[in-house]
Parts: sequence; structure tokens; C-alpha cells
Amino acid sequence: MPPPTKPAPVEITRAGDRDVQIRWNDGRTVVYPARFLRMACPCDHCVDEMTGRRVLQESSVPLDVHPLAIEPVGRYAISLRFSDGHSTGIFTWEWLSHLAAELGQPASAVTTPNNPH
Amino acid sequence: MPTQEQVLTALRKVMDPDLHRDIVTLGFVRDLKIDQGKVSFSVVLTTPACPVKDRLKEESEQAVRAIPGVDQVTVDMRSDVRPAPPPPGLNLVPGVRNIVPVGSGKGGVGKSTVSANLAVALAKSGARVGLMDADVYGPSIPTILGITELPTPGTKGIRPVVAHGVKVISSGFFMKPGQAVIWRGPMLGKLIDQFLSDVEWGELDYLVIDLPPGTGDVQLTLCQRVPLTGAVIVSTPQDVALTVAQKALDMFRQLRCPILGIIENMSYFICPHCGERENIFDTGGAERAAAEWGVPLLGRIPLATGIRIASDSGRPIILDEPDSSSARAFLEISQNLAAQISIQNMKETAEPALKISF
Ligand SMILES: Nc1ncnc2c1ncn2[C@@H]1O[C@H](COP(=O)(O)OP(=O)(O)O)[C@@H](O)[C@H]1O
Ligand SMILES: [Mg+2]
Ligand SMILES: [Zn+2]
Repeated sequence: MPPPTKPAPVEITRAGDRDVQIRWNDGRTVVYPARFLRMACPCDHCVDEMTGRRVLQESSVPLDVHPLAIEPVGRYAISLRFSDGHSTGIFTWEWLSHLAAELGQPASAVTTPNNPH
Repeated sequence: MPTQEQVLTALRKVMDPDLHRDIVTLGFVRDLKIDQGKVSFSVVLTTPACPVKDRLKEESEQAVRAIPGVDQVTVDMRSDVRPAPPPPGLNLVPGVRNIVPVGSGKGGVGKSTVSANLAVALAKSGARVGLMDADVYGPSIPTILGITELPTPGTKGIRPVVAHGVKVISSGFFMKPGQAVIWRGPMLGKLIDQFLSDVEWGELDYLVIDLPPGTGDVQLTLCQRVPLTGAVIVSTPQDVALTVAQKALDMFRQLRCPILGIIENMSYFICPHCGERENIFDTGGAERAAAEWGVPLLGRIPLATGIRIASDSGRPIILDEPDSSSARAFLEISQNLAAQISIQNMKETAEPALKISF
């Protein structure tokens, strides 16, 4: 049996001034608030690789932080360059659809990846 | 005199068995000319290694011949390898139409032997082929293809060595024999970048990549840097081997690299004395695995001393003993692979590309 179609974005656009909107291949549209995305960065500066705990301090992130640019990474992720100079996170489709569920806007039924990378 | 409409209607009945559409819909029919009872046209396939070339030619001819008023049909079979759809972002290898990494769960399963023979088989079919030996832990492509010279500087980068019609770059070219190199992640990433963008690959229909065994930084870097048409997994038929092969497959899927299929190597034994085929191993292992994983089984290669001897002497068996059953197995697999690549590229075109406007 071929594997079922996995969630993947079809279109990524701006929502409002600084939020990110993703239209998924199942037709749903999810809006990711700018600062929420910065706080959800899965890179090893923001998350302890061993424990998986978030080490990024809420208080260290500017309130008006927002993405300046979005680049595709391979066929499975995007990287975001944020206004605070941070750009090391790779947001995979799995991670982004997990975040959609966290936002209460599930993109489709996916299991939580145990490793956000 | 038959009309163009009549000819096209007749040709709409000729189906490409792999792409599941008729050759008119697929846009394969070109240069249709009708002159009284004489009809001529070209059928432009997606690969010169098309396994059903002869069948399509015959069916097209018959379909048109059946039209009243037609007394002569000339079919010109050609090919034009369609590129994978353009990737998002920067393309490091713009002249390369299809990048096909060959992976395995562990070493010693014949990954390099298979990569080399497939590359030469595709080149023999008339395709433009490159072979990148990215197995930094045990580069063996130069030996298998009998390469003694080194690549030379070109106008913009490194010019690959051409062996048996294939453009070759190997990590072995840049290492001293016997030298043990400890590779760290960032070094591997840089090497792969250079192999992609500093090598003058030129225009290629297929770039085959012999990967290191397992799952690691080379695989990761490749998936991040360039759009891969799809990966091929080589395994031996034993369950333990297939279990580690699945790890490699899972990694590619996680990185969104499509899987073109698996190849079972050292699958059965051909007795060198009598030529009888013997199944010394549990047979059908890869077939079961392929069904379970939902990927095509591209074919099976026998365990044959001739394969090793040919590789050791620098002339892959596909050239050394083209009529042997081993060479025929490789040839058939190269055709199945080319067909899967065509199918994959059709699928991709059907899938909308990701649009980012931010
Ligand atoms: N089908 C086969 N029959 C006999 N010997 C084979 C076959 N495939 C590979 N070999 C031999 O097995 C050894 C390992 O093959 P190789 O292609 O180097 O494996 P890998 O690249 O997976 O490490 C080589 O000596 C090769 O000649
Ligand atoms: Mg090898
Ligand atoms: Zn981060």
C-alpha cells in the first residue's frame, strides 16, 4: 500500500503585518502568530538537544519579533529569518502541522514528532 | 486521405503502461505528417531506456495502419528525458535533470556495484549520465570503472573523468590511498556542496549518486541542497539486511525524498558450471518488503562470481559480459528505474509546487 499523503504546505503567505499563513494540501489554512513561531523555534539554541526541553527564555524575545524572510529547505521544511537576528531553526512540515494542532487549528491528523528537528 | 483527427484518435488507444495514459495525452506524438496514404510521426518517450519502446512502436504502427486509406506508416522513436519540476530556491546543478541517490542500510550489499552498472546501462541506452561517488568511507567507483586518471581543472570548476560513457567524480580522487579520513558533519556538507556546484557536470539526464551506507550527514546534506528525483535502496534478501534497509528508506521518507524502488542484490545463485539458477537464500524477501513499504521492486541481481571479477578488473559486467544473465538483470533494472523516474516526474508535475510569498 502506498503511504497516505502527508501534510505539506501548498502556499505560504503573510497574514496581517507580520504573521505567517500556511495553506495545507488538505485545504485548511492556518495562521501562525509571528512571536509564537519564534518561541517555537526547534533549533539547538532554543531546545536542549538531550532533554528536548525548551531553553529559550520568553523574556529574552522581543515582543514585536517577526519573520523577515522565509526560505524553502529541501522539500520538507522552511527556514525563517527573524527580526531578532535568529535564523537557525528549520521548521519541518511535521513540526508545523504539530504547531497547528497546538494552535487549535489542526492541519490534519498527524502524530507529534518526538524530535522537533 | 486519412485526416490528422483520425490518426490522433487511433493513437489515443495506445497506452503507456507505466504512466497509465495514452501517448497523445502524454504529448509523446510529434511531427505528424500525412501525405496521401503515407503517415509518419515521432513518438518522443521520456527516456531512451524505456522498457516498452518496441511495444509502443508496434502498437502505434498497428493502430494507424488500421485506418482506411493508410498504406504506409513510419514511426520514429525518440526520447527526451523530462526534468524533475524546478525546485524552490537556488538550483546548484541546473543542467542535471534527475538526481538519483543509491542507498543501503549497511555496507557490502553491492551498492557501488549496482550504482556503477546502472549508470553504465543508462549511458548505453543513449542517456547522458553522471556518477557521483559520495561514499567517503569507502569510495570504490574508480576501481569498479577502472579509472586511473584524476579529474582535471575545467573553465569554471573540476572536470569529471569520463569512463565507459559516464561522467564520474569520486571522493577517492581527493584522498590518498590508505589514508584514513575522519569526516565530521560540516566537512561532509562542504564536500557534497562542492561535488554538486564545483563539478562541471554539464547537461545530464541522470546523476546517480553512490551514497555511504546507512543514514548520515551526506544523505541529509543532499536532501537539503538539491531536489532529488528519488532514492533507490539496495539490499540483500535476508530479513536482517532488509530491516536495516528500512531505516535508510525511513530517513528518505522523513526528508521527503521519494523512493523509486528497491533492488535485491545477491538474490539467487547462478551455478558457474551449469548455468542453473539456484535459490540458496530465502527468496522473495525484498518482494515482501517492497509490498509492505509500498515501493516498487526494481529487480533482482544474482550472486555471480562474474560480477565481482568484472568489477575487480575495472570493466563492469554490463560491458564485460553483456549477454550474461547478470548483465541482463542490470539492464532490465536500469529500464525499470528509468520508467519509475518518468512516473515520479509526472506525479510531481501534478502536485502543485509550494508558493512562498512573504
Ligand atoms: N551480485 C553480486 N555477485 C557477486 N559479487 C558481488 C555482487 N554484488 C557485489 N558483489 C561483490 O561484493 C563486494 C561488495 O560490493 P560493493 O558494491 O562494494 O558493496 P557496497 O558498495 O554496498 O559496500 C564487492 O567485492 C563486489 O564485487
Ligand atoms: Mg561501496
Ligand atoms: Zn532557534
